[in-house]
Amino acid sequence: MNSTTDNGVGSRRGNLPGAAFAMNRRGFLGTVGAGGLGAMLAACTGGGQSSDGPSADDGVLQWWDQFRPLTSMLEASLFEPYMAANSGVTIERRQMEGPDLGQAIQVARRSNQMPDVHSLAGLDATPAALVSEDWFQPIGGHADFDGTEIVDQLFDGLHRFDGEIYSVPLFSGRFHDATPWVNTELLSQADIDPAQSPATWDDLRATARQITDRAGVPGLLIPTKEVPYLTALVNWLAQSAGAPGTIDWTTGAYVFNSQPFVDALEFLLSLQQDGVVHPSGASMGARDARARWAAGEAAIYPWGPWIIGGLMVDEPEAVERGIDAWRLPCPETTRNVVHRGPGGGVFWVSNESQQPQIAAELLLQMSSREFQAQLASAMDQPPALIDVVAEADVHPAYARNIGYLADDVRISPVPETGNPSTWRVAAESQDIHPNLGEVAQAILTGSSSDIRGELTRLNDAMSAERDRAIAAVAGEGAEVSIEDWVFTNWEPSQDYDQAAYAAR
Amino acid sequence: MTLTTSAPAPAISPTTAKEPHRLSLRRRLRRDWWIYLFLLPTLLGYGAYTVYPLVASWWYAFLDWPGFAMTGTFTGLDNFRRLLADDLFWNAFRKSLLFLVVAVPARVGLALLLALWLNSRRTPFSGFFRTLFFLPVVTTGAIIGIVFTLLLDANGPISLALVWAGITDSPTNLVASAGTSLYAGIAVWVWKWLGITMIYWLAALQTIPRDVHEAAMLDGANARKELWHVTLPLLVPFLVIITLIDTVGALNVFDLMQTLTGGGPSFSSEVIEIFIYRTAFAATVPQLGYASAAAVLFGLLTMVLAVVQAVGVRWARRQTKGAS
Repeated sequence: MNSTTDNGVGSRRGNLPGAAFAMNRRGFLGTVGAGGLGAMLAACTGGGQSSDGPSADDGVLQWWDQFRPLTSMLEASLFEPYMAANSGVTIERRQMEGPDLGQAIQVARRSNQMPDVHSLAGLDATPAALVSEDWFQPIGGHADFDGTEIVDQLFDGLHRFDGEIYSVPLFSGRFHDATPWVNTELLSQADIDPAQSPATWDDLRATARQITDRAGVPGLLIPTKEVPYLTALVNWLAQSAGAPGTIDWTTGAYVFNSQPFVDALEFLLSLQQDGVVHPSGASMGARDARARWAAGEAAIYPWGPWIIGGLMVDEPEAVERGIDAWRLPCPETTRNVVHRGPGGGVFWVSNESQQPQIAAELLLQMSSREFQAQLASAMDQPPALIDVVAEADVHPAYARNIGYLADDVRISPVPETGNPSTWRVAAESQDIHPNLGEVAQAILTGSSSDIRGELTRLNDAMSAERDRAIAAVAGEGAEVSIEDWVFTNWEPSQDYDQAAYAAR
Repeated sequence: MTLTTSAPAPAISPTTAKEPHRLSLRRRLRRDWWIYLFLLPTLLGYGAYTVYPLVASWWYAFLDWPGFAMTGTFTGLDNFRRLLADDLFWNAFRKSLLFLVVAVPARVGLALLLALWLNSRRTPFSGFFRTLFFLPVVTTGAIIGIVFTLLLDANGPISLALVWAGITDSPTNLVASAGTSLYAGIAVWVWKWLGITMIYWLAALQTIPRDVHEAAMLDGANARKELWHVTLPLLVPFLVIITLIDTVGALNVFDLMQTLTGGGPSFSSEVIEIFIYRTAFAATVPQLGYASAAAVLFGLLTMVLAVVQAVGVRWARRQTKGAS
């Protein structure tokens, strides 16, 4: 048998021309293959980066965020001066779209490749939940945040956990993202004074009709493809109609099925039925809509204060052509304020980071009045020290909108500050579908016509899910109850500040 | 003896003849080590990126795993119980099946017609048309989704053409209407992948010997009879494999549907992949275990349906034979 096998092999070799080189070639190919494989395996540690992550490299600080309008300002006013003053430090910033950033962070977390500093865009989990899972490390010991002007805006359960400061609010909570931004050139064509905000919903309808008739473009652009945009828009409209928000803080009850929410949906539907809404809005996201609004496809686009900052980066010609901000209209001439929680922590330092000192120093600089003024000039979200806008180099429409926001927005209570343990309820709760935005989408696309019925189902489901989640986490020992959502001393016309929490 | 010596006895017994095939794994590895070496990268890649995620998703399906936590907690069959009561899971399941049932026959049938047309010697510029129909295949699905969002919206050329032709009264946003969004996705998917199925059919048509066609012609068959009685019966074995390939393709439409409709409006085009993605990444608290359970359950249910379908087809064939 052995001889047969040997002969067989031998005969095959013998039949090959250049047999003396055959084995050498195989050996060569095998060696090359093995080498290549080895190299490939050596490189397979995720994106070609070291599995130890960027934090292990002394002096290199990785920074991930979604703030495209802040790109040049962060580089020129923060990172470059810091690196110049600290020669051993390199700051590498990566900017991504919000949803992409959330997914990238989730993947980075599981593969130990977290950046040193990142924002929470795309991550809907509460900061408290992330802190409890050891995502972050405190920064209060590395810099004196208590000596800054934003100290009054540091809240337990949002920025401070177990007495330690983890993050700071760089942006104010005093904003909404339903400001009617207008193309002044189109308004002029429709014989409308851009400086005159329509006071009521009916005024806005009439104005939109006039634009559609005279300027030859749809009056309004409402991108309804993205549910979060619709959720926010309906919420702000309902609050402008008198709703306290999605929760009545005096009772802790959800109020999705209250009249203001019904009115808000009926108002959006009436605009659509008037034929004044861009017909392609249903297949647009918020950024697509901004681009098409900037291209002059519609005159009015409800969005947040950051629109000018974004336009200055991507479509500056739209700003040069003429842009203005209108005040959020209410159903009647009587004005209602809208409510939003305090500005949350924006940048967080990863628990894996070896550079907490550098990160804390950068965040401390961002909390200064000088940097806040530069932040205002980027015209993104309003800065935490919102009064700096008056002195900053900003577009008049941006400044006007900040003035409207100061008049119209009040800071609401948040359960996490009242009782930090409530994050466990949020973490335990399962999403309810259809949510507010999905209900609005169904109404606007004709999938449903029962506005009140849909809102009542949503309200009941949200209430039941919160009750279930409270019972579940209370059963695990957490000290939470429905009372944590009740703020009996809440006065809708006032900000709910540190003193209000203390007096609760 | 004579008989013995003259008998055509095998030089080696059957057992001996099979001996080389029964070499131990170790000896085979020693003899053919370079074959396994070159297979190794593929095996590693397949193991890491196909087998491991598959096995891991089964394990994850039994965990309560919020996306922001490093690990999950074993909860047994809880995720599956929740899924069975989740209307949106069943909605996505139905949408995926509807996609499959409508899109696969359309793609297979249209591609066959195209292949027959392009296979004809009388078709001019057949090479040009083959390239033209194949072009969408090599275009990224996500890009096609974005482009068709513009083409199919209310101001797009397709909507305006429908109005111009009197088919619709007013411009319609085909991707943003609950009644049409899924079918818009199906139409785009069929258009995108038609070229590759057409190539499969063209390859199948090349396997039919020319003398079979000539024999049919000599027997007096016209083109229609030749197609019906000669060509199509010979293509049936290919139909099975092409349908299978396209069916697998119809269950992988995430990039196109996510960019085209995002599953909306109101979940009207939410196929199972978007449901899984939304649950795993776009939920307030990402639920990795629940999303894995959805993937596993959908796979199992699809397998059950495939088995039921196969049994049904066999039963129908037997009935037909019995009746004839």
